[in-house]
Formats: sequence, C-alpha cells, structure tokens
Amino acid sequence: MSDTTVIAGSAPRSFRRFIERFPFLPALVILVVLLALNGLFEPNSLSYRAIRGLISTYLALILLSVAQTYVIYAADLDLSVGAILSLVNVGIIMLMQHLGGSPGGVLLACGAGILIGLACGIVNGIVVAVLRLQAIVATFATSILFTGLALYVLPVAGTPAPTVYWRTYGGTFFGFPFVFYVAVAIAIVLFLIARTRLITQLLSVGDDQQAAYQTGLPVTLIRLKGYALCGVFAALAALCVTGDTASGDPLVGGEMTLNSVAAVVLGGTALSGGVGSVTGSVFGALIIGLISSLVFFVGTPSEWQNLVQGLAILLALMVGVLVGRRAKS
Amino acid sequence: MTRISRLATITVSALAVTVFAAQAEDFTIGLSNGWVGSEWRTQMIDEAEEAAAAWKDQGVDVKVVVQSANVDVPGQIAHVRNFINQGVDAIIINPNSPTAFDPVFAQAKEAGILVISTDAEVSSPDAMYVGIDQKGWAEESAKWLAETLEGKGKVVAINGVAGHPANQMRVAGYTEVFDGYPDIEVVNEVNANWDQAQGQQAMQNLLATYPDIDGVWVQDGMAAGAWKSIMDAGKTGDIAATGEIRKDFIDLWVENDLTSGASVNPPGVMASALNVAVLLLQGNELKEPATAGQYGNAMYLPIPFIDGSNVKEAATELDGKPGYYSYTDALSIDDAKALFK
Repeated sequence: MSDTTVIAGSAPRSFRRFIERFPFLPALVILVVLLALNGLFEPNSLSYRAIRGLISTYLALILLSVAQTYVIYAADLDLSVGAILSLVNVGIIMLMQHLGGSPGGVLLACGAGILIGLACGIVNGIVVAVLRLQAIVATFATSILFTGLALYVLPVAGTPAPTVYWRTYGGTFFGFPFVFYVAVAIAIVLFLIARTRLITQLLSVGDDQQAAYQTGLPVTLIRLKGYALCGVFAALAALCVTGDTASGDPLVGGEMTLNSVAAVVLGGTALSGGVGSVTGSVFGALIIGLISSLVFFVGTPSEWQNLVQGLAILLALMVGVLVGRRAKS
Repeated sequence: MTRISRLATITVSALAVTVFAAQAEDFTIGLSNGWVGSEWRTQMIDEAEEAAAAWKDQGVDVKVVVQSANVDVPGQIAHVRNFINQGVDAIIINPNSPTAFDPVFAQAKEAGILVISTDAEVSSPDAMYVGIDQKGWAEESAKWLAETLEGKGKVVAINGVAGHPANQMRVAGYTEVFDGYPDIEVVNEVNANWDQAQGQQAMQNLLATYPDIDGVWVQDGMAAGAWKSIMDAGKTGDIAATGEIRKDFIDLWVENDLTSGASVNPPGVMASALNVAVLLLQGNELKEPATAGQYGNAMYLPIPFIDGSNVKEAATELDGKPGYYSYTDALSIDDAKALFK
C-alpha cells in the first residue's frame, strides 16, 4: 500500500482504478465467456430450465464461497466449511425426522441448523483468533472434529428429508422457481452485509493486522466475528444442499471445501486478505460449475475429464491473476 | 481406381448411411460415474460402450455420452442436469448416494427420460435398478464357505467401509446365512475399507489372535490381501476363504490350488442395464415388472459364482487380459430380450 504514489506507466491509470474498484471484473468476463461457450456447445444449457438447474445445484457452493470470503477478508482461512455443511445437513435431517414433516417443524429445524453453523464458526474463531493457532491447521483439525460429529449423528448416508422441504426448494411460486427468490434474497443480504462496519474492519485486519491493532481495533473479536459469519453462511449452504438432495449424508460437504477456496480466489479476492468482494466469489463458484459442464459438453472423453477440468480451472486462475497484476503494475 | 469412382463409392455409402439412419432407431444414453478410483469402474464404462456399439447390428443406433470424474453428490446431480439439458433418452448412473437423487430423478422423469441405476440401489420411485442383489451376493459366498466347512468351525469376516450401504447389505447377507448353521461361530468381524493392503494387515492381526480359525469371509479386492497373509503364514491348506474376481487373483488361485469361492459382481452390470434401457426405450414391456429390493424398484441380475469346479475355465477366459481385469458377465441383447414380453 505504501507504494501507491509510485505508479509505473505501463497500465493506464483508469484501467487500474477500475480493477481496484471492481476486483471481480476478470471473473465476470470469464463467467460470460463460459456461459457463451456452454451455449455454443449445448444451446439447451442456456434454457430457462437449465439456468434454474444451474442455480439450484450451485447455490450451495455459492454460499459456501461467500462464507469462505469473510474469513479470507481478514487473511484467515476456514478448511472446515465443508464439514460444517455436512454437520448441519445431517443435523437438520435428524431434527426434521424427530419433529415430523410439518412446516413448523421444518422451519424450527432450519433455525436450529443455522445455530449449529454459528456454534461451529465460534469454535473456529476461538481456536484461531483467541488461542492463536494457525488458521490452516486449526480449521483442518476442527473439520475432522465436525465430520466425526456428523458421522455420530447419522452413520450412513440416507434418511429422506420431509417432502414439503424439497418440494418447496424445487418448486415454483407465483410463476418463479423458489431458488430464484432465494438468490434474490441472498443478493439483498450480501448487499446489506457489505455496507456494515464489520466488513470494513475485517478488510483492515486482513490488510495489516498490526496497524489495525495499533489504531485500536479489537482484532481478536473482529476475526472471531468473521468466523461466526462464515459458520452461518456454511449452514445456509447446508439448507440448500438438503433442498437439492432431499437426504442426509455425513460426508456430503467434504469435497466442497477446496472448491470454495478456489471460487474465492477466482473471484479476485486475495488470500493475503484486505482486498476482495463477495460478488467475485459468487462468480467464482459459478465458474467452477460451468467449467465442469463445459468439459462434458465439448465432448471430452471420459478418461480425460478430470484432467481437462483441472487445466481449465488453472487457466481461469491465470487469466484472473494476470489481469490483476497488470492493473497493479 | 480413379478419383471419381472412389468419390462415387463414398457418396453412395454416405447416402446408404443416411437412408439407414433415417430408418434406424436412434437413442442417446448418458452414463454417469461419480468415482474413478478403481479399474472396475473403468471396465464398467468400457463394457457399456461396447454393448452400445453392438446394437448397430440390430439396426439400432445407440450413442453414449459419458460423464465420469471424481465428484461429490452435488457434482453428480450436475451430471444428471447436464444430461437433461442435452436431451438424452435415458440415463444410466452408478450413484454416489442412495437417496440424494430423488429430486433430480423426478425432474428427469418429467422431461421424459428413463433413469436406471446400476451397482448401487437408489430410493427414487422415478428410477429402476438393474444390477446384482448385494445381499444375495454375500449370501452365495457365505453359503459356499459354510458348506465347504461342512457346517462347523470358527470364521472371521473382513468387511468394507462401515456405514456404506452396499457393505451393510453384504453384512446382513452373510449374517443371515451363518445364523442358519448353529455350529459356525463368527469369532470376529473387522473393517478394512475395501483396501487390499488393509485387508492383508487385518488378516495378519486375525491370524495372530485366532490361530485356529477355519474360514474367512472377505469381500472384493481385500481377498487378495487376506490370502497373501494366509499363504505367508503357511496355512494355505488349512483355511477356506472367499476370493475375488481379478485376473491376478484367479491366476494365484489356480497356481496354489486355494480353497476359495467367489461371488461375481461383474463390471458388465452397466452393459446389462444399457441393453435393458434400449429395449425399454423401444417400448417393450418387461415380463415381470421391476419391483424387487428394499425400494421396490429393482431388477436383479443372476450372480455368477466361481469355485474350485470352474476356476480353471475362468482363468482361461481371462487369458491375455491385464492383471487388473475383472471376470465379467453381462446380459447379451438376446438374454435381455428374453426378459421382455
């Protein structure tokens, strides 16, 4: 930050400002290109039904990436988001089973699920911010703890969700799919959260923790709040996964953790903290989803699909990093 | 040969193909596999692709599109949604979860797509299962073991992943069979996560703890590991243990004249499911509707069995194949036709 006055002449000043103001722009461009390519190779992939399917499948990853963004703002990391998702998933499934499938019982279970997520987030906040363990190792350890709890709650994948729950998630109300309302609601909530003081505080802690401390910010409390917010959003992601899968699975989120980190980085948020946007993470999550669809739609032979998918994500990352670097130079 | 005559030949054959294709039935079938960790899965997809090609002789053009990658459950749901967008006629899936696909299968059915799961049963009423009965698979080898031991002796079991649905069904299968033989005593049951090395380790521990066991019931690739420990301990002649179906093990079995028996879960199940799918797409009706299994939507395939009486034939059949190749079996088109009215 100290060298902002030394501006090299290579990049136009306006372009640099633009990227700084909207760090998610490269991700947006990649996203539009991917949508176009998907549409080119499979015109149906841009149909109304397909877009609806895309949103209901990836809403969970979007929310998980948003969760991850809040801790990365403060230069922290949460490797337990997937495990929190699994724990909340099996937690609400078991609660719904005990409370019966009535709408009241379902809502109660959802509320309890969010509290479970919050509790997990606070546990992470305590081990990382209060006890000062390294975030990457400490949250890896808590992820094992949360997975263990999930396996204790529901040892075998199964146990259906009440019909009212997944019929609502996959249903249509007043002419629009339920997931569209969810997406709009999330957009509003994200917009409101982005204007709170907590976000500014998280970013300043991530930018320079020492400076933030010296200016009198309660750094420990801010980081703890970041983890708590992360836990709540991981729980919201679990509500979406449960809506789309209609069942409990104690291992459902495990593989989503690193995808959430990748989505955040794809979205232009720096892992070193201090710079970023949740908008970018939303785009990043969609990019990951669209890449795996595209790999299939272009007709990649089955034995190459994993490899091509990895290369495509790497390419998307490189484009984002190069544009960002050009803007900084 | 002049260029013109060659061109004419190409044109004529192209025309012939077009005319043929216009008359022929044309189906697109999506294959989804959510785990690529074993050769068995690769062989499963290869055999299904071969089965699709075989329909050409019947005048049916079956095009397969494959999605095979390590994915989580939401990732495999995305597989299904991609197939729906592509407008396939049928989806055949080796599912990562028994229950998680209920909503998306309902959407596929709404779009007029036939959904068949194979290798693992699914709870969705909008899908059917074509594959072996995992419980029956365990019962067959448990019966072989009990009868080989003449109904009495000490037995240990080495199982797969605790909590995995297929593992639970298999455990239920052998438990039921051994309960029917009052003199068979199951002295210990351990989990070795379907891993050959862990199977070998588990067997070593079991041999150290119970030197006087007579029989071992062990699943899949772990059997090769368990037999390695049995042979290392010099107990090849004293112990009867279940086996597995890869060429490497079957060769070992023949060479050392092991007392073994193996239920076959053939990788050809997906090929069988594909043949059933094509016949259903043609509008044929099953003689007996698929109503078996815990979810009431299963059609069980016969389970081949290998023991001392036919292991040499199995070895001959696998001759020339790579060591990881599994003994296989699938419904041929004619076999499948026989199941329909």
